[in-house]
Amino acid sequence: MEEEPNNNKVFDLIRELVVRLLSNSSPTQSIDSERALKYAMRILSSRMTPSISIDEASMVESIKRNLVNEGKSSDALNFADLYNKFSSKSGPGSVKNKWGLMYMLKVISEDRKKDKKSDSRVSSGFFASTVNGGLPALFDDLNENSRKTLDNGKSSSRFGGGGGVLLISKDSENFRDLAFREFGNLLKEESEVLEGVLVRDVLYTCQGIDGKYVKFDKNLDGYAVGDSVKVPRATKVMVRKLCELGWLFRKVKGYVSECMDRFPAEDVGTVGQAFCAALQDELSEHYKLLAVLEAQSMNPIPMVSEATSTGNYLSLRRLLVWFAEPMVLMRLMAVLVDSCKVLRGGAMAGAIHNHAQHGDPLVQEFMRRLLRRVCSPLFEMVRSWVLEGELDDIFAEFFVLGQPVKAESLWREGYRLHGGMLPSFISQSLAQRILRTGKSINFLRVCCEDQGWADAALEAAAAVGTTTRRGGLGYGETDALEALVIEAAKRIDKHLMDVMYKRYKFKEHCLTIKRYLLLGQGDFVQYLMDIVGPDLSEPANTISSFKLAGLLESAIRSSNAQYDDPDMLDRLRVKMMPHGSGDRGWDVFSLEYDARVPLNTVFTESVMAQYLRIFNFLWKLRRVEHTLIGAWKTMKPNRITSHFLTKQEGAVKQQFVSTLRRCQVLWVEMNHFVSNLQYYIMFEVLEVSWAHFVDEMEAAKDLDDLLAAHDKYLDSIVEKSLLGERSHSLFKTLFVLFDLILQFRSHADRLYEGIHELQARTVDHSKSSRGRTKSRLKSNNESSEVGTWVSGGRKALTQRAGEFLRDTRKDLEVVAKEYSSSLEGFISQLPLQQHVDLKFLLFRLDFTEFYSRTRLKK
Amino acid sequence: MPREIITLQVGQCGNQIGMEFWKQLCLEHGISKDGILEDFATQGGDRKDVFFYQADDQHYIPRALLIDLEPRVINAIQNSEYRNLYNHENIFVADHGGGAGNNWASGYHQGEQVQEDIMDMVDREVDGSDSLEGFVLCHSIAGGTGSGMGSYLLETLNDRYSKKLVQTYSVFPNQSESSDVVVQPYNSLLTLKRLTLNADCVVVLDNTALNKIAVERLHLTNPTFAQTNSLVSTVMSASTTTLRYPGYMNNDLVGLLASLIPTPRCHFLMTGYTPLTVERQANVIRKTTVLDVMRRLLQTKNIMVSSHARTKEASQAKYISILNIIQGEVDPTQVHESLQRIRERKLVNFIEWGPASIQVALSRKSPYVQTAHRVSGLMLASHTSIRHLFSKCLSQYEKLRKKQAFLDNYRKFPMFQDDLSEFDESREVIESLVDEYKACESPDYIKWGMEDPDGVLTGEGNATGSVDPKLAV
Repeated sequence: MEEEPNNNKVFDLIRELVVRLLSNSSPTQSIDSERALKYAMRILSSRMTPSISIDEASMVESIKRNLVNEGKSSDALNFADLYNKFSSKSGPGSVKNKWGLMYMLKVISEDRKKDKKSDSRVSSGFFASTVNGGLPALFDDLNENSRKTLDNGKSSSRFGGGGGVLLISKDSENFRDLAFREFGNLLKEESEVLEGVLVRDVLYTCQGIDGKYVKFDKNLDGYAVGDSVKVPRATKVMVRKLCELGWLFRKVKGYVSECMDRFPAEDVGTVGQAFCAALQDELSEHYKLLAVLEAQSMNPIPMVSEATSTGNYLSLRRLLVWFAEPMVLMRLMAVLVDSCKVLRGGAMAGAIHNHAQHGDPLVQEFMRRLLRRVCSPLFEMVRSWVLEGELDDIFAEFFVLGQPVKAESLWREGYRLHGGMLPSFISQSLAQRILRTGKSINFLRVCCEDQGWADAALEAAAAVGTTTRRGGLGYGETDALEALVIEAAKRIDKHLMDVMYKRYKFKEHCLTIKRYLLLGQGDFVQYLMDIVGPDLSEPANTISSFKLAGLLESAIRSSNAQYDDPDMLDRLRVKMMPHGSGDRGWDVFSLEYDARVPLNTVFTESVMAQYLRIFNFLWKLRRVEHTLIGAWKTMKPNRITSHFLTKQEGAVKQQFVSTLRRCQVLWVEMNHFVSNLQYYIMFEVLEVSWAHFVDEMEAAKDLDDLLAAHDKYLDSIVEKSLLGERSHSLFKTLFVLFDLILQFRSHADRLYEGIHELQARTVDHSKSSRGRTKSRLKSNNESSEVGTWVSGGRKALTQRAGEFLRDTRKDLEVVAKEYSSSLEGFISQLPLQQHVDLKFLLFRLDFTEFYSRTRLKK
Repeated sequence: MPREIITLQVGQCGNQIGMEFWKQLCLEHGISKDGILEDFATQGGDRKDVFFYQADDQHYIPRALLIDLEPRVINAIQNSEYRNLYNHENIFVADHGGGAGNNWASGYHQGEQVQEDIMDMVDREVDGSDSLEGFVLCHSIAGGTGSGMGSYLLETLNDRYSKKLVQTYSVFPNQSESSDVVVQPYNSLLTLKRLTLNADCVVVLDNTALNKIAVERLHLTNPTFAQTNSLVSTVMSASTTTLRYPGYMNNDLVGLLASLIPTPRCHFLMTGYTPLTVERQANVIRKTTVLDVMRRLLQTKNIMVSSHARTKEASQAKYISILNIIQGEVDPTQVHESLQRIRERKLVNFIEWGPASIQVALSRKSPYVQTAHRVSGLMLASHTSIRHLFSKCLSQYEKLRKKQAFLDNYRKFPMFQDDLSEFDESREVIESLVDEYKACESPDYIKWGMEDPDGVLTGEGNATGSVDPKLAV
């Protein structure tokens, strides 16, 4: 429009256009076309400018966004493609005012959208745009187009970028333009480095390379523009800001390459490797971005006053925008690198997980991506552990730790959780379950030599579905993991329980132990006591345990034990405890049960030691009971045939009667105590604990439950049998009582022996008055003191009898006195044992309130 | 080494209850009438060798001696379906087969005469056992053979096997009706003396009470001997369950009896059983928990010894000891609960001179015998009220003795040829027995029978506390 011929040409072209556009309409409407032409001309000659700033890129973006918003993402891609081609075209014949063109296309499409209803797209579009003010732009573009064709070949570095500022650029002597140019020159003078160079430098630094001016400054620990370089302060600051990305990159990259170098060494671990790989991927994204930016940075930065014709260019400010997002991510990565540098395995995954709790969807998405990669080796470990029992963890990263142990302690000590390696997204209980499941498999494999678990694992995998293939599980699918673990645990544990119960007869073994070690099989215990008793009274070091083993064998054979499973009986052994010099066989004899693998996982040495203590206690109790019964046998009803003394007069008769009764009454007390203690042990301790144990055994879902149940069973027996730590003093009193009872037995035996002797003597005496014949009994008479009662006449005999009775009576009284004071001590201590429910025992002992009455009297 | 027990069944009554007892044992152990183990009896867990031994052909033979002076009952056994069960060498029937004529002296005397034959049998059985625990004698105390010959056997066993236990199941005559045996009081007294002196434990089976139970509890209008005998066999088998089904405690007879008989002389035991049924009798099924069973066992109506005590005396009667054998499916925790209830409600009165308690033995039930109730219980108890039974015997004896009635029958035999001092001696023994039981009711039993002349008692500390001098007899 600068020259007249051009003007005419434009006019012609416009008329042509108008006519073409309106030719569909009826010919009568030529007036319309005339009017439209005039209108177009008027617009073209007007100074209207679009109300938005000229930015080709943002225009393109907005078009793309519109398309995406309408759900035509493929169109958007097409568009971007086309635009790329379009914008890269330069040289002769290319469109200069690309922005204008874009703007026009956009406005047209918007117009069209607004008036979809109308049939005549052109006319309505035409007028509508006239109305809503879109038209000027349209015509502006048309105008530009036409101008461009006119200007063909002409250099337009000054005003070619026009577009919206078409009319400004038309007037190149415009004041604004001048002012801008001046400002630009001022800027140029202020810095000796061009912005473009700085931009390139920044881009370099972002790849960890020093630029020409921007270099890594160790003092600052960051990239900065060298002091010597003369740039405005603001620029320096901005460069520093931009270079943070570089600094971060350097850090991340440094970590990654360091790790890569160390890969062969063990201390990186698979999780670390995965982390590195993930970081590496993120970094290559970063490189991609940089490549794009670098391409853009080739475009010269226009002066502020200049219009861009070279397409995208990068300024520092633009970079700032470009870098916003990568900076966040890079910062995140750097933080992760920092916090994970020293960590490995599960701990690393956990640390990363802690950073994943973020509200920013960008960060969240990034973290999820990262964690999926990082956790995959970990999840793979869980999978193979839970389904195959394999601990393929050469770098010790897994939260389950294995250590080589003997088969019997495999379960208790073979594996443990490594708290430090437990990522926080796996809960403690889940971890326990994981640990136990793998442990169960190993237990089955090693201790039970069982292969059936594989089927169980397969089933479990099938039940959960397809997610169990190698590498199929990932972070964020903790639910799936949990489901897998639960399913596997359920089946493996069930299988393990089956193996324990059915193949290894756990319950039967427990019952056997109860019957033999806890003396439940009364007839067996009785025979055993009968036949080993004489041997056990010998000093401990003279007893042959070989002989005892033989006796045990015969006790089994002659009791109902013979019907038991021979395998179980085989495991029953005599055990001689270590003994001191003064020990008798009674002190060292005990039975033990050889549990063998895998049952010795339950019946460990310490458990057997507990059983041994219980056995010793029960055995002692039995021995005391046995002793009392023995005493009863010597004083049993049909042996009291001592008419001789009851027919005596006076003191001796009194002594006889009172001594005998003292003996009997003391026996009653002792027997009452022992038998009620036995009842207590049987009903309240053994049977009750056993009943609980059986219930718990049935409820037990895994070996840990079973172990816990067994421990509880054993503990409750130990505690209630007063074997616990806290009942120590009570237990000591108990043993004092036991010893007194054993003493009593010997006194009672002596008393009855004496009485029988006396009796024989009187018979003898009456016989001897006729003819001194030695009685059979007399010759039996041995070294005991009664043997010294030589027949010195009836009177002397009576006197001796009196002395004997008095002595025995005294001995008995001593025992009785000690016994009742000890017993009182015992009974008064009972209610103080609050940790065990001993009221049952007290209740039994004092059933008739005999002892509480006695105490009241005192 | 089972603790074998040899059973001697003497006289008509003894053989009848003995037969029932073996029937019951065979049922419980799954042994057929011929002594062959039934096919189903494989569950084990029971101990058959206490009461049986196995012959070469594996069939089980009771360790039993069947002794009678007249052939009727034993012939019946030998013609019954159980004829192949017993060892025929162990059956003794007097050659003349005339019985003892309800005369104790005759039975005793005949026993003396056939002593060798019988002791040969006993010795043979003893030799056949590894660790003999003792003997069980089944007899009645009223007739001639069971009482007289039984008495003689008691004395002999006591003499010969003094270290072995001798337990008797002694049937006391029905004292509520006039007996056909007029000399019953004499026989009873003389037998009681031997039971007192020569037995270790006497399980008193009182026909009076058994009849009463049959009539009142089982609603039988006219109970037959067979029916009362089945009650007896129930008691006998139940009292031996802990021996036959070994458990934690009470696995031998001596252990069972020792706690029951703390004072040697007071070794007469009463029994109670619940729930009672008689063979083939449809029975009302009752709730049987441990508490129910234990409570019912303490009720006098279930006790198989009739109390002849007057009310006042009865209130003073005390238990010396109690053992409840509970059979069946029992939760051990229920035992304690039941004991607590019993104590709370003061259902039981124990001696005061020493500690005592209800002992409870849990025992398995035979898997081969079906019963309608889950739990059944037997009580063995030593109770002072039993002295009234003896007093009654004494008073009946006194009555008869005063009349000098029927004494000639006794004078025919050597023991009574010179004088009747045996009667007086027996009376003395029974009287002192009654006195001892009476003394047991007092808290000062320990001092009973002592004048404490040299201050032994008061001079020294006494566990049971100080004594009121007035109470010390």
